[in-house]
Amino acid sequence: MNCEKCQELIHDLLDGTLSRPDEFALNTHIKECLDCESVRQDLSAIIGFCRSHRGEYDTPPNPQALWLRIRNVVEAEAANVQVRAKAPRKSLLADLMGRSWELSLPQLVSLAVAIVLLVSIVTVVGIRRFGNNPTTVEQPPEQASNINERVWQRQQVISYWKQRVELNKARWSPEMRDTFDRNLQVIDAAVTQSLNELNRNPHDEISEQMLNESLNDKLALLKEFSDL
Amino acid sequence: MKATSLVRSTSARRALPFAVATVIALCFSSAAIAQQHLSKRYQTGKNVRIELRNISGTIVVESWNKDEIRLSATMESPNAHIVPKQMDESLIVDVMNDNRGRGDVGDVNFKLQVPVSSSVDLETRRGQISVSNLRGASVRAHVSTEGDIELTNITAGQVVAQNTIGNIFFDGEFSTGGTYEFKSTKGDITIRIPGNSAFRLVAASPARKIALGEFWNNGFKTQDGRRYVGDVGDGRSSVSVTNFSGQITFLRK
Repeated sequence: MNCEKCQELIHDLLDGTLSRPDEFALNTHIKECLDCESVRQDLSAIIGFCRSHRGEYDTPPNPQALWLRIRNVVEAEAANVQVRAKAPRKSLLADLMGRSWELSLPQLVSLAVAIVLLVSIVTVVGIRRFGNNPTTVEQPPEQASNINERVWQRQQVISYWKQRVELNKARWSPEMRDTFDRNLQVIDAAVTQSLNELNRNPHDEISEQMLNESLNDKLALLKEFSDL
Repeated sequence: MKATSLVRSTSARRALPFAVATVIALCFSSAAIAQQHLSKRYQTGKNVRIELRNISGTIVVESWNKDEIRLSATMESPNAHIVPKQMDESLIVDVMNDNRGRGDVGDVNFKLQVPVSSSVDLETRRGQISVSNLRGASVRAHVSTEGDIELTNITAGQVVAQNTIGNIFFDGEFSTGGTYEFKSTKGDITIRIPGNSAFRLVAASPARKIALGEFWNNGFKTQDGRRYVGDVGDGRSSVSVTNFSGQITFLRK
């Protein structure tokens, strides 16, 4: 047996598929040939290593990632099913808007006349119903509360200026202090009187005017004396 | 000895009233000396404007036949400081501004003599205001608290008189297209005008004390006597009178 024939049969020898006569002849040659013996040893070492580490170099499976991928696919499929199930029907308006309209000239003229008639009727009815008698328009029921709200807001501003006045009051002469207090009381009395009247009759214009003017006067007085 | 002592006693008794009188006179003279007085003159044109902002004290303005202003002021406190400012055709006196940080400066009583065509804008926190014989563009008299306002023989296109406590008296004429506003919280408002006056009136008094006298006519609309709105004559000027608790009276002169 020569070396070429020997190295061809080494694979079969290592795989254990070689016949006994060929195995005898091969072993005889290998014992005499160092090169072939070296090839046999190398091949034997490679095959042995591969057998001992079988499976270690496969791509490791990632069960979590795999599960996530599966789940995503399932959920996506389920969502598509739901969307298809819940998709609203197109509204009539959307349907009309989506439709391409092609109207003839007589149809357009008819449509315009219909719109003009509709607007005219609505206008005439509106004027007859609401336009002729403005005095009958009822006062809003919350008018009283609006007045109280306005008064409260004014009182907040007044309180601020009153505090400023109080800071300066110590510098005034006693006569000036007395005068100021006396006049403030007079204005407060006018405010109270107007408020009482408005409580009795929330729609009383004169009392409302008087109330506004009294509050304005009070504010003006405080502002003037805050500078003193 | 007894006769001599009797004579001395009699002399002392006679001298006593003179001594008391002398002391009283000295007291008054010292009080007079304590009051400071300011008097200044300002050359102006005919149509001058005077702005006066007082704190406390009376203001008297009257016209004279000169193109100049004479300002006289009597100051109760020596701390009071007055620096009138003349700018173009206006004179500005601001007691409030001139005495900021000086504490209480007491009453300052003003008397101004001004050209007939002057416009005046007068304010005081407390005290009376009196204006007479003016024919300028506007007269404004404002008393923040209490003090009477007396406007006599006034012909101006715009008149405003307002106080909180005190009477307001207007004697004059309403100009065509003029505006007139009188307002008091507690005091009587009296308006004395010629019988041929023409104006549109809005008068309000929650106390229902409005007396239009000869100026009332059937064209007036009233809301239960608290407000009167209407024209007198052809309503060429606008008059607004508001009084919270006093009387509103129109008189013909």
